[in-house]
Amino acid sequence: MRASVTETVPAVGQRSRRPWSIPVPGVLRAAEAIAFWLVTAPFLALLPAGIGYRAACWRGDWTFRSDPGKRDEITNNLRLVLGEELGGQEAERMTREVFRQRNCWIIDVMRMRGNGRGLGKLVEIRGREHLDAALAGGKGAILCSSHQGSFHSSFSLIHASGYPVTSIGRWWWEFPPGGTSAVVRRMWELVYGRRVDRHRHRPNMAPWPGRWQVAVRAANVLRANEVVTICCDPPPLAEELPRAVEVPFLGGSGRFVPGVVALAQATGAPVLMISIRRLPDYRHQVVEISPPVPMDGETTVAFERCAAAVETVIRAHPAEWDIWYNLEDLIRMGLIPNASQQAATAGARTDQETELQQSSR
Amino acid sequence: METIVNDYLTRELVQDVALLPLGDATSLLETGILHSLSMLRLAVFLRERFGVTVEDADLIPENFDSVDAICAYLRARVGREASHAGVRD
Repeated sequence: MRASVTETVPAVGQRSRRPWSIPVPGVLRAAEAIAFWLVTAPFLALLPAGIGYRAACWRGDWTFRSDPGKRDEITNNLRLVLGEELGGQEAERMTREVFRQRNCWIIDVMRMRGNGRGLGKLVEIRGREHLDAALAGGKGAILCSSHQGSFHSSFSLIHASGYPVTSIGRWWWEFPPGGTSAVVRRMWELVYGRRVDRHRHRPNMAPWPGRWQVAVRAANVLRANEVVTICCDPPPLAEELPRAVEVPFLGGSGRFVPGVVALAQATGAPVLMISIRRLPDYRHQVVEISPPVPMDGETTVAFERCAAAVETVIRAHPAEWDIWYNLEDLIRMGLIPNASQQAATAGARTDQETELQQSSR
Repeated sequence: METIVNDYLTRELVQDVALLPLGDATSLLETGILHSLSMLRLAVFLRERFGVTVEDADLIPENFDSVDAICAYLRARVGREASHAGVRD
């Protein structure tokens, strides 16, 4: 069951019960973030892995304390979606873990320099036999992931380990489309995109609205018996909503664009789910490739199988799902009602409670 | 050929009934009929029905913006492949 909004929003005048909050002004946080991406993280990636990832966790803890707005947003997101399964303290612990994981992902990308061995030696890729068997079929292979763990680095590592990998995906710094300054885009391309793209067979394919060629290009990559990676859980853009399907997801109903199913059914390429998880030492990771998931039947039914596989991974390692970070993304996915719906739900709940109180009296 | 392509688009890809009947010169890109996934379905149809595989270099608006453009593209591809086959023979 989902928690109600009224349970997660503190009452007016209620003080935060977190003693460790050290709010830092947004400008200072932004300056620190730029310095971390440009200087500190590349330096940490040169140090022994144990030190680098420990420092990343410390920064995660610091951002957890210094950015109470984002922290509360993530905690609320977790509780609104996972509901009563998640107590308040557990949600808070998981929120801190979200911050730690995000900082470890940065170190992962920085360790992809050169041939990627700096990261490769820390990541165990399981299930290669499934990928080999899929490619032996001659129709390519689709590796389908969620926004879970260090998925960008993992796709690059799979390429570095000998498979021709091309990715379908949109970079976050291009959101909203056309709304990011050229300086910001250049910075992200320099510190992130360049490092990841170096280990891909072809340039990234970004399925923005208006890019009507993307799926056919991906089909041609599969026809060349190569590997295409795709995340099946991006929050749909407004333009994509007419093509979205609704499937059971995380105890509710999630909206997704079933591009992976369309691609698989059009090309006959097998879909292998890929899960990524970080071990408790924060240094090591396991990337696991599954056997093919059946893609026959109606689009929605076939997509439900992907969504079920993704949900299993999220429930096992919830803090590693990147989508918790933004309320707006969860609203677009239909996992959290938007503000007006929340208000209506809260109003209906208040009415019900009043009626109950009156009837009990 | 125009009738076959138009029928397919009308039957399978046009979701907004206000766009029907679909004119052969109607822009498929401006009306939103062609997007990434519908283009993929169209490419599969062209391969199965006409034996033409859409290559990356062919993915330009001039080849797919209307029924007329698609048919012109198909004729050019079929003609090109026939002449290549003739050279090989």
